[in-house]
Amino acid sequence: MAINQSSFTPRVLADLSLLFCMLLAPVCLATPATTPAALLQVKSGLTDPGGVLSGWSLEADVCSWHGITCLPGEVGIVTGLNLSGYGLSGMIPPAISGLISIESIDLSSNSLTGPIPPELGVLENLRTLLLFSNSLTGTIPSELGLLKNLKVLRLGDNRLHGEIPPHLGNCSELETLGLAYCQLNGTIPAELGSLKQLQKLALDNNTLTGGIPEQLAGCVSLRFLSVADNMLQGNIPSFIGSFSDLQSLNLANNQFSGEIPAEIGSLSSLTYLNLLGSSLTGAIPAELNRLGQLQVLDLSMNNISGKVSISAAQLKNLKYLVLSGNLLDGAIPEDLCAGGSSSLLENLFLAGNNLEGGIEALLNCGALQSIDVSNNSFTGVIPPDIDRLPGLVNLALHNNSFTGALPRQIGNLSNLEILSLFHNGLTGGIPPEIGRLQKLKLLFLYENQMSGTIPDELTNCTSLEEVDFFGNHFHGPIPERIGNLRNLAVLQLRQNDLSGPIPVSLGECRSLQALALADNRLTGALPDTFGQLAELSVVTLYNNSLEGPLPESLFQLKNLTVINFSHNRFAGSLVPLLGSSSLAVLALTDNSFSGVIPAAVARSRNMVRLQLGGNRLTGVIPAELGNLTRLSMLDLSLNNLSGDIPAELSNCVELTHLKLDGNSLTGTVPAWLGSLRSLGELDLSWNALTGGIPPELGNCLGLLKLSLSDNHLNGSIPPEIGRLTSLNVLNLNKNSLTGAIPPALQQCDKLYELRLSENSLEGPIPPELGQLSELQVILDLSRNRLSGEIPASLGSLVKLERLNLSSNRLDGQIPSSLLQLTSLHRLNLSDNLLSGAVPAGLSSFPAASFVGNELCGAPLPPCGPRSPARRLSGTEVVVIVAGIALVSAVVCVALLYTMLRVWSNWRAVSVSNSDGEESAHGGHGGGGGKWGDGKYWKVGSAVSWSAEQRHSSGSETASVLHDKSTEAAGAGKS
Amino acid sequence: MAARVLAALLATALALALAAGPAPARASNDEGDALYALRQRLSDPNGVLQSWDPTLVNPCTWFHVTCDQASRVVRLDLGNSNVSGSIGPELGRLVNLKYLELYRNNLDGEIPKELGNLKNLISLDLYANKLTGGIPKSLSKLDSLRFMRLNNNKLTGSIPREFAKLSNLKVIDLSNNDLCGTIPVDGPFSTFPLRSFENNSRLNGPELQGLVPYDFGC
Repeated sequence: MAINQSSFTPRVLADLSLLFCMLLAPVCLATPATTPAALLQVKSGLTDPGGVLSGWSLEADVCSWHGITCLPGEVGIVTGLNLSGYGLSGMIPPAISGLISIESIDLSSNSLTGPIPPELGVLENLRTLLLFSNSLTGTIPSELGLLKNLKVLRLGDNRLHGEIPPHLGNCSELETLGLAYCQLNGTIPAELGSLKQLQKLALDNNTLTGGIPEQLAGCVSLRFLSVADNMLQGNIPSFIGSFSDLQSLNLANNQFSGEIPAEIGSLSSLTYLNLLGSSLTGAIPAELNRLGQLQVLDLSMNNISGKVSISAAQLKNLKYLVLSGNLLDGAIPEDLCAGGSSSLLENLFLAGNNLEGGIEALLNCGALQSIDVSNNSFTGVIPPDIDRLPGLVNLALHNNSFTGALPRQIGNLSNLEILSLFHNGLTGGIPPEIGRLQKLKLLFLYENQMSGTIPDELTNCTSLEEVDFFGNHFHGPIPERIGNLRNLAVLQLRQNDLSGPIPVSLGECRSLQALALADNRLTGALPDTFGQLAELSVVTLYNNSLEGPLPESLFQLKNLTVINFSHNRFAGSLVPLLGSSSLAVLALTDNSFSGVIPAAVARSRNMVRLQLGGNRLTGVIPAELGNLTRLSMLDLSLNNLSGDIPAELSNCVELTHLKLDGNSLTGTVPAWLGSLRSLGELDLSWNALTGGIPPELGNCLGLLKLSLSDNHLNGSIPPEIGRLTSLNVLNLNKNSLTGAIPPALQQCDKLYELRLSENSLEGPIPPELGQLSELQVILDLSRNRLSGEIPASLGSLVKLERLNLSSNRLDGQIPSSLLQLTSLHRLNLSDNLLSGAVPAGLSSFPAASFVGNELCGAPLPPCGPRSPARRLSGTEVVVIVAGIALVSAVVCVALLYTMLRVWSNWRAVSVSNSDGEESAHGGHGGGGGKWGDGKYWKVGSAVSWSAEQRHSSGSETASVLHDKSTEAAGAGKS
Repeated sequence: MAARVLAALLATALALALAAGPAPARASNDEGDALYALRQRLSDPNGVLQSWDPTLVNPCTWFHVTCDQASRVVRLDLGNSNVSGSIGPELGRLVNLKYLELYRNNLDGEIPKELGNLKNLISLDLYANKLTGGIPKSLSKLDSLRFMRLNNNKLTGSIPREFAKLSNLKVIDLSNNDLCGTIPVDGPFSTFPLRSFENNSRLNGPELQGLVPYDFGC
C-alpha cells in the first residue's frame, strides 16, 4: 500500500493533521486513513460525465491516476490534484482535507456546487487553490486564512456571497487573490493590506461597498489591481501612485468621485488604466502623459471636464483612448499624434462630449482602426485625405455639425465596416467610389442634406447589412441591382425624393427584415418577387404613389409584424397581406382597396393597430374583429361599410381610438361603448345611425374627442355627457336632436370646440355655456330652434375665435358683453329675431354676420329716428368734443410725463421703485392697478382713438378722462 | 486573468461602440421626435402623455396632438394637464404648429427662443405657469400669430419692441408678470387695452418714443 511506502515526514504531517481535525471536530467527520482512500472519497462525491476518474482505483498506483501529481522521486506522496475543465459536478467532499501532502488543487472550470469545504484550512502545504468558474455557493470560509503557504487563491466566477474574510490577510505568502465575478458584499477588508507579496488582486464584479481602504497601501508588490463593477465610493486614493510595479489598474463602474489623482502619473509600468463609469470630476491630469507604457486609457462615462490633454505622441504605446461620455470641451489637440508612423493609437472614442472644431488632427494617427467622435459639436468637413488612415474599420461621426460632401477618398478605406455619419449637415452626393468598400456592413447617412442619386456602385458593397439614408434629398430610382446586397437586413430610405418603381431584384435580398421606403415618390406596382422576402418583419411604404393590386405571393410572408402602406394607390383585395398571424400593425389608410374586410384579419390576435380608413371596402364590419382584444386603434372610416356596429367589438376593451365615420352604418349607437374605458377618440359621424345618444357614453371618462355628427340621431342630448370632463371636441352637428341644451355641458370645461348645429334643439342657450372658458375653435349652435336672449355670459369666452348662433329664434338685443370677445374673428348671428342696434364694437364684422334680424347700425344701415341708437348722437358729439379735449390733455400729460421721466432719471438713485412709491407719485403711469379695465391707450393716434372711443360708454369715457386728469394732476404735483 | 482583462476590454469597447452607435431604421419623424423630447422633459403625474409612443410613424394618433390632412402637427393641447418641467427648444421644430396650448400647468424655466421658428403659429397660450426669464425677441418672427397669452407667469425683462411688427396680433396678455421698461405703441399695440399689461410692478407705461429710454427701469 502506498502509505507503507511513504516517507516519515508526511506521516508526521498526517498525524498532525489528525490532531488538528480532532480540534476542529465535528467538522472532520470522515478523516481518511490514506491519501488514495481520501481521493476515492473525493471521486465518490463527484459526477464525472467524461469518465476521467474511471482509472482511479486501488489496483493502480495513485501517482498514475489521471490528474494526480506526486512528489518526484518519492512514491505515493500526492502533491497535486488537477481536474480542471472536465465538466465535473457535485459538491467538493470535505474528504479532500485528507490530502495532507497536497500543494496544488485545481478544480476550476467545472460545474461544482455547494460550499467551499472549510476543511481545506488544514492543508498546510497548499500553495495553489483554484476553484474558479464553478457554481459554488455559500461564503468564503475564514479557515482559508490558516493556509500560511498559500500563494495563489482563485475562487472567482462562482455564486459565493457574504463578506471577504479578513483572515485572508494572514495568508502572508499570497501572490494572487482572485475573488471576481461572485456576489460578495461588504467592504474590502483592511487586513488585505498585510499581503506584502500580493501581485494580483481581482475583486471585480461583486457588490462591494465603501472605499478603497488606506491600509491597502501595504500591498507594495501589486502589479494587477481590479475592483471594477462594484459599488465602491469615495476618492481614488493617491497612494495608488506608490504601487511602483503596477501594470494594470481597473476601477471601472463604481461610484468614485473627486478628481483623478495626479500621482497615477508615477505608475511608470502601467499598461492598462480604466476609470470608466464613476462620477469623477475635474480635468484630465497632465501627469497621465508620463505613462509611457500605457496601452489602454479609459476615462469614459464620468464628469471630467476641460480639454483633451492627452498626447499620444508622449504615450507612445497607447492603443485605446476612450474619453466618451464626459464634459470635455475645446478641440482635438493638434499634437494628439505627432507623426503617422510612430503612433500606435488604434481606437479613439471621444463620443458624447462638448468637443468642437475639425477632426483633421486625427489624420496624424496613422494606426487608427476605430474613430468614434459622435455626439459632439464638431464642425468642418470630412477631410478628403481621410485615406491617410487606411486601417480604419469603424468611423462614427454622427450627431455633429459636419458639413460638405462625403469625399470620394472614402472609397480607399478598404477595411471600413461601419460608416456612421447620420445627423450632420452633410451635402452633396454619395461618391461612386463607395462601391469599393467590400467589407462595409453598416452605412448610416440619415438626417443629412445629401442629394443626388443613389449610385449603382453601392450595390457592389456586398457585405452591407444595414443601410439607412432616411431624411436626405436623394432622388432618382432605387438602384436596379439592389438585389446584389444579399446580406441586407435593414434598408431604410424613408423621406427622400426617390422615384420610379421598387426594383424587381429586391426580392433577392433574402435576409431583409426591415424595409422602409416611406415618404418618397415611388410608383408602379409591388414586384411579385416580394414574396421571396421570407424574413421580412417590418415593411413601411406609406406616402408614395405605389399602385395596383398586391402580388398574391405576399401571402407567403409569415413573419410580418408591421405593415404600413398608407397613402398610396394600392387597389384590390387585402388578402395577400394576411399570410402572417403575427401582425401587430396593419395600416392601409387612404388607398383604393376594395372588397370586404376579410375575417382572416382577426387571426393576428396581437394586433394593436388596424387602420383601413379611406378605402373602398364594402360589406359589414366582421364580428371576428371582436377577437382582437389587444386592439388599441381601429380605424375603418371613410369606406362603404354597412350594417350595424357589431356587438363583439365590446370585447376590444383596450380601444383608445374608434373611428367608423364616413360609412353607411345603420342601427344605433351601442350602449356598450360606455364600457370602453380607455377610449379617447370616438368618431361615428357621417353614417346612418338612428336612435338616441346612449347616456352610457358618459362613462368614457377619458374621452377627448366625441363626434356623432351627420347621422339620424334623435332624442335629447343626455346630461351625462357633462361627465366627460376631459373632452376637447364635441360634435353633434346634423342630427335630429331635440330638447334643450343640457346646462351640465358646463362641466366639460376643457372643450375647445363645441358644435351642435343643424339639429332641432330648443329652449334658451344655457348661460352656463359661458363657463366653458377654454372654448377656442368654435361655438356653433346654428340652425336649431333656440330661443330667448343671447346670454350675456357668452362674453366670458375670451378665447373664442368663431361664434355661430345663426338661424335660430334668438331675440332681444345683442348683449354688449360680446365686446369682450377679443379673440373673435368670425361671428354669425344672422337669421334670428334679434333687435336693436349692433353694438358699435362689433361693427367691424361684415353685414352678413347680422342680416336677417331686426338689427340696425353699422355695418347694417343706420338705425331709424325711433331707434334708441340714434338718440345717442348727442352723446357722440359730447364724446368727440371730450375726445379732442382729451387729446390735448394727453399731449400735455405726455410733455409732463417726459419731464417727470427726466426728473426721475436724475432721482433714480434715491427713489425706491416699489409699488407704494409709485402710487405715491401717481404720475409714472406704471402701477398696474391704475389701469382701468377696457380703457385703451391711444397716444399713438388721436384719430383712431376718437373713432374707437365711440364704442365705449359715456361713463367709461368719463373715467378715462378722470384717470388722465388725475395723472396730469399727479404729474403736476410732482 | 489575462483572458478576463481582454474580455473586459473588448466588452468595454463593444459596449461603447454600441451605446454610441446608431439605432437603425429609425421610424419616427421629426415632429414626433420633438414631441417625445418634450414628453421626456415633463413630469406627468396624471399620465396625459401616456399615449405618446415614439415608435409610431407619426404623432397624429397621440392624444392631445392634432394633425392636419398631411399628417403635420397643428395643435398641441396640454392646457390644464398638471404637467411640470421646462418647455425646451425642441418644440421649435413643430414648424406647422398653429395652436400651442400649454396654459395652466406648472411649467418652469424660460420660454425657448426656438419658438420663434413656429412660422404658422396662431395661438401661443402659455399663461398661468411658472415661466421665468425674458420674453424672447425671436417671437417677433411669428408672422401668423394672432393670440399671445403669457400672463400669470414670472417673466422678467422688457417687452420686445420688435413685437410691434406682429401685424396679425389681435390679443396679447402679459399681465401678472414681472416685466419692466415701457410698452410699445406701434402696430397692433395701438389697440391693446392696458389691462393686458397690468400687474407688472416695474413696467412703466407706454413708450414715449425718443423721450424716455425704451428699457427705462430695467
